[in-house]
Amino acid sequence: MSDLFAFQHAWLIPLLPLLGALLAGFLGARFLKRQSHWPIWLGVGASAVLSFSLLFGMLALWTKGRESSVREPAGKWTVEQANLERAAARDRGESKSVPLARSIKWFDWILAGGSDASHKSYPDNDIRSADGTVNPLRPFHVEAGAWIDPLTAVMLCVVCGIGFFITVFAAGYMKGESGYFRFFAYLGLFLFSMTILVMGNNFVMLYLGWEGVGLCSYLLIGYYYEKPAAREAAKKAFLVNRIGDFGFGLGIMLCFLAFGTVSYYGNGPHTGSGVLDMAMAAQLPGGQITPFQQTALKWIPFLLMIGAFGKSAQFPLYVWLPDAMEGPTPVSALIHAATMVTAGVYMIARCSTLFVQNEAALITIAFVGAFTALFAGSIALRQFDLKKVFAYSTVSQLGFMFVAVGVLAPVAGVFHLITHAFFKALLFLSCGVIMHAMSGELDMRKFSGLKRVLPKTHVLMLIGCLALAGIFPFSGFFSKDEIVGAAFHHNTLLGLVLLFTAFLTAYYTFRLYFRVFQGPEILPEAPAHASHGHGGDEHGSHNHEPWSMMLPLFVLAIGAILAGALNWPERERSLGTFLYESPSFQNGAVIADIAFTRLGGKPVDLSAFGRREADEAAMGHEPPFTPIMGISLIVALCGVWLAYRNHLKDRAAAERLARKLGGLTTLLEGKYWIDEIYENAIVEPLKKLGRAFFIIDQMVVDGVVWMISFIPQATGFALKLTTQRGYLQGYAASMLFGVLVILLLIFW
Amino acid sequence: METLALQHYLAVGAILFGIGLIGFMCRRNLIVMFLCTELMFQGVAINLVAFGHFWGNFSGQAFTIFVLVIAAAEASLALGLVVLLFRQKNTLDADAWRELKG
Amino acid sequence: MPTTLFIPAAANAILNPLVVMVLCGFAGIATAMMLPGRREASWARVGGVVALAVGLIFSALLIRYTATVSPEGMGIYFWVFSAIAIISAVRVVTHPRPVYAALYFVLTVLASAGLFVLLWADFMAAALVIIYAGAILVTYVFVIMLASQAAPDAATIAGQADYDDVSRDPLVAAAIGFALMGMLLFVIFDKAEGVNRPVKPLNHKVYVQDGSDHPPLAPYDGTTQQLGQYLFNDQTINLELASLILTVSMVGAIVITRRRIVSTDFGDEFVETPEPETLHGPATPVNDNPHSIPVYGTQNPRAKAYPER
Repeated sequence: MSDLFAFQHAWLIPLLPLLGALLAGFLGARFLKRQSHWPIWLGVGASAVLSFSLLFGMLALWTKGRESSVREPAGKWTVEQANLERAAARDRGESKSVPLARSIKWFDWILAGGSDASHKSYPDNDIRSADGTVNPLRPFHVEAGAWIDPLTAVMLCVVCGIGFFITVFAAGYMKGESGYFRFFAYLGLFLFSMTILVMGNNFVMLYLGWEGVGLCSYLLIGYYYEKPAAREAAKKAFLVNRIGDFGFGLGIMLCFLAFGTVSYYGNGPHTGSGVLDMAMAAQLPGGQITPFQQTALKWIPFLLMIGAFGKSAQFPLYVWLPDAMEGPTPVSALIHAATMVTAGVYMIARCSTLFVQNEAALITIAFVGAFTALFAGSIALRQFDLKKVFAYSTVSQLGFMFVAVGVLAPVAGVFHLITHAFFKALLFLSCGVIMHAMSGELDMRKFSGLKRVLPKTHVLMLIGCLALAGIFPFSGFFSKDEIVGAAFHHNTLLGLVLLFTAFLTAYYTFRLYFRVFQGPEILPEAPAHASHGHGGDEHGSHNHEPWSMMLPLFVLAIGAILAGALNWPERERSLGTFLYESPSFQNGAVIADIAFTRLGGKPVDLSAFGRREADEAAMGHEPPFTPIMGISLIVALCGVWLAYRNHLKDRAAAERLARKLGGLTTLLEGKYWIDEIYENAIVEPLKKLGRAFFIIDQMVVDGVVWMISFIPQATGFALKLTTQRGYLQGYAASMLFGVLVILLLIFW
Repeated sequence: METLALQHYLAVGAILFGIGLIGFMCRRNLIVMFLCTELMFQGVAINLVAFGHFWGNFSGQAFTIFVLVIAAAEASLALGLVVLLFRQKNTLDADAWRELKG
Repeated sequence: MPTTLFIPAAANAILNPLVVMVLCGFAGIATAMMLPGRREASWARVGGVVALAVGLIFSALLIRYTATVSPEGMGIYFWVFSAIAIISAVRVVTHPRPVYAALYFVLTVLASAGLFVLLWADFMAAALVIIYAGAILVTYVFVIMLASQAAPDAATIAGQADYDDVSRDPLVAAAIGFALMGMLLFVIFDKAEGVNRPVKPLNHKVYVQDGSDHPPLAPYDGTTQQLGQYLFNDQTINLELASLILTVSMVGAIVITRRRIVSTDFGDEFVETPEPETLHGPATPVNDNPHSIPVYGTQNPRAKAYPER
C-alpha cells in the first residue's frame, strides 16, 4: 500500500486536539477568554479532515484493490485454504487483496523487564520460544503506535466528525458560562483520549484512552461543580466506571501473562505476534497453544466484558449514565451518547477474535444487552426530564449494540453505533436548544407545543425521533433491523425482546415529541433563570435558534437521515464489506465459523461479519428486505400511534393508563429502585465496613503506634528528670568526662 | 633557665587549663565562669608559645595572637550577653537559666 | 639554641605516672575543700595547705629531675612565675568574691607574661599584659561592679550573693578536672615522645632587612621584628580576618546590649510600658503580633539608656 498522507500523519489526529486542549487550558483563563473555543475548533477540525482523508484514501485503495484482485472462489472458505492462499500470495510477492490494515509505530513507550538479550532481539518474534510456550524472558514492551484499519478509520470519522460539530455547537451553547476555557480544554482532552482509544495498536493504548475518556467524562459531568447534584453524578460515574475498569485492567494483564504481549497484531496480521493472532491459534487446526492460554482465553473475554459493561452502561453498571446528564448538554451529546459510551462496542468488535470463540461470553453479552435494552427502554417510558429520557434511550440503544456483537453480527453493531451517534447527538443537541430557550427547564410537563416557538428545532427533533424510532427511510431503521434480524437468526427470544424494545422506543420517543412540540402551546410560567448556569440576558425575546447552534444540527440531521445508506442491503460495497477488510472482522468470521460449526450449532451467518460471497446475491439467498424489517416497521408504527393516541389526542389517556397500571407505573417511576438497592446492598454495607475498619485502625493500629511512641516519650521524660536538667555546667562536666574517657582509651 | 625543657611549660599550661576547667564547672556566677574560660585560654597560650619557642618558629606566637583576638571578641560578646541575661532575671546565677527554651 | 635541652628518653621513669595521678588526686581533694561553699572556713585553709604541699612536692620532683639532667642551672624565674601563675589561678577559682577573682586573674596574666618573656616572646608578653590585664579585665571588673551593685536583693551574707558563696558539685567538678589534668600531665611526661624530636630548620621565611627575597634567611631569634615580618608576610589574610572578627564583635556587643524600646503606637509618641521587665523585652518578638516586634529605637525619648534603679 502506498503511503497515504493520512497514514503518515495519523499521529496528528490525536495530537491536534491535545494541543488545542493545552492551549485552551493554559492560555484560556488569561488570554483567550471568550475565544477559548478556537484552539479546539481548529484542532478537532483538522483532525476531522485528516480522519476523513484517511477514510477516503482507504476507500480508494480498497476499490482499486478489489477491481484488480482475483475473486475469491465460491464455497466455504476454510482456514487451511486461506493460509495456503496467503502463503502462496506471499511467495508470489503479491497479496491477494490490498491489505487495508497496518500498524504504525510512533515510539517505544514502555520497554521493561526481560533480559538484555531479549531487549536486543526485540521485535523479533521471540515472544514465543521454539515449543510455542511464551518466553519467560520476554520484556514488557508497549509501543505507542496506531493500528489503522477500516474499523479505526470509521471510528475516527465518527469521533472527530461528530466531535467537531458538537464543539461548534458548544461554542454557541456555552457562551457566557464561567469556566468557558475549562470546558473546551476538557473537550479537547476528551477527543485526544478518544482518538487514542480507537487508534491504539495495543491494549495499553486502549486502556490509556479508556481511562482518559473516563477522566474527561468525570471532569465534564462535574463541570457545574457548584451544583451538588453535578458533583455527586461525577463521582458516581467515576466510581462505577472504576468497577468496570478494574475488570478491564485484569483482562489486559491476563492477556500479557498468557501471550506475552499486549499488542493486537504485533508485527502485522497473520504473523502470530499479537494477542489477537495468537488467540486465533486456539481454534485453528494445528495451532500451537498451551493449556494456560486455553484457560486464559476462557477468562479474558469476561474480564474485558466487565470493562465494556462499565463504560457502555450495561445492566449492572448502567446507573451512572442517567445521572451523567447533569453535565452540559453538548457533553451529554458527545460523550454520553455518541462516542465514549460506544467504546465498549468498539472494543468487543476489535477483539472479536477473543470473543467469538467463547460462546458463554457471547451469550452473556447478548442477554445482558437485550435485558438492558428492555429495562432501560421501560424506564424511559415514565421519565419526564427530556435528557433523562434520552439517557435511558441511550442505555437501551447500547443494549442493542451489545446484542449485535453478542449474536455474531459486529457489523450491525458498528453500523448502529454510527447511526446512533448521528441521531442521538442530534436529539441531545436539540434538547440543548430547548433547554436554552426554556432557561434550563427540561421537564416536559412544564411546556408543550413548542413547534411555533422553535420551528427549526422542531423539524430537526422530528428527524431525530423518526431515526430513533426506526421509521423507514431514516438511518435507525436499517441499523436496528439488522440487529433484530441477526438476533432472530441466533435466538428467537432475543429477537422478540428486541422487537418489543423497538416498540417501546418508538412509543417513548414520540411521547416526548408529541408532548413537547405538538399540542397547545404552553411555556414555563417563570423561567428559572438561576437554575442553570446561563446568563439570563440572552434568553429574552430574541432568537432562540442562533445559527452557530443550528448549523451543526443540520449536518447531524442529514447524517441521521442518510447514514442508513452506508450499509444498504445488497450493495456490493457497503460498510460491512469495508469493515471486513479489518483483520478483526476477518479473523472473527473465521474463528466463529470454525468454533460454531465444530460445536454443531447453527451455521454462522458470515455476512454479519461483512463477508460477502461473490455469487451469493446472484443466488438470491438473501432478499434485500426481509420480513423482519416489515414487522419491525409495523411495530414501530404501532408505538408511534400509541404515543399519538395517549399524548396528543387525549393527554389524559396516558394518566388513565398509568393509573390503571398503578404498580407498574410506580415501579417505572422509581426506576426499579436500582439506585436504592445499590445504596442499601452495596454502599451502606461498605460504609459500615469502613467504619469498622476505622475503629479497628484507631484501637489496634493507632494503639500499637501509640505504644511504640510511648517508649521514647517515657525515656525522654526520665532523661529530663535525671540528666537533662538544664544546668549548663552539668553538661560541661559530662562532656569533659567523655573527653577524659577518650583520652584514657587513646593513651592508656 | 636554659636547662628547662618543653615539658615544664606544657605542665604549667596543663595545670592552668585544668584549674580553669574546675572553675568553669563549679562556679555559678556567670562572670566568674567566663573568667575561668580566660584562665583556660592562658594555659593554651602558654602551651603554644612554648611549642613555638622550642621548635624554633613563629607559628606558636602567631597562633597566640589569634587566640588573643578570639578571647577579646568572646569577652566583649559574652559580657554583653551576661548583661542582657542579668537584665532579664536580675541575677548572675547560671542555674537561673535552665528552662532549655527561649 | 635549646637543642640540647630536651629531656632524654630515660627521664620518663622519673615522673612516675602513678605519682602524678596520686598528686592530682590530692590536689583535687584540696581544691574541692577550697572552693566556696557553706562549710567551716578552716576546711578551706586545710585545703589550701594540702594544695600547697602537693604543689611543692610536684615542683620538688620536677626540680630534682631537672637537676639530674643539667645540674648547673635551675631556671629560678620559671619556678617563681609558675608558682605565682598557678597559685593565683587557684585563687581565681576559689575566691568567693568575683572582684577578687578578677584581680587574681590579673596576677595570673602577669605571671604568664613573665613566662612568655622566658620563652623569648617579648612582644607576646607585652601584648598579653596590655590586652588582657589592660583591656579585657577592666571590662570584666566593670561588669562585675555593675552587676553586684544592681543586685542588692540577692545578697545574703556580707553583700555576697548566694551563687557566689555556694559552688555547684565541687567534688564532681574537682574529680573530673583533676583527672583530666592528671591525664594531660601523664601524656606530657610519659607519652609525648613526639615533642622531643630535634629542631627542624625554619619552616617559614624570615626575610632579612633589605627586603630581598633570596635565602639565606635570618636565623630565628624571636625578635619582635621577625615576628612582625612573619605575621605580615605569611599570615596577612589571617591578620585581616582577625581584625574583621574584632570589628564584628564590637558591633555585636553594641547590638546585644542595646536597650530595646517596644513601640506600641504608630505615631511619634512612644508609650512607655509600666513594668521594666516588659520594657527590657526578650530578644525575640513577644508574640505573633507584628506590631510588637521590638524596635531598635534611636528615637528613644528617654535619653538615658540605663535608668537608675
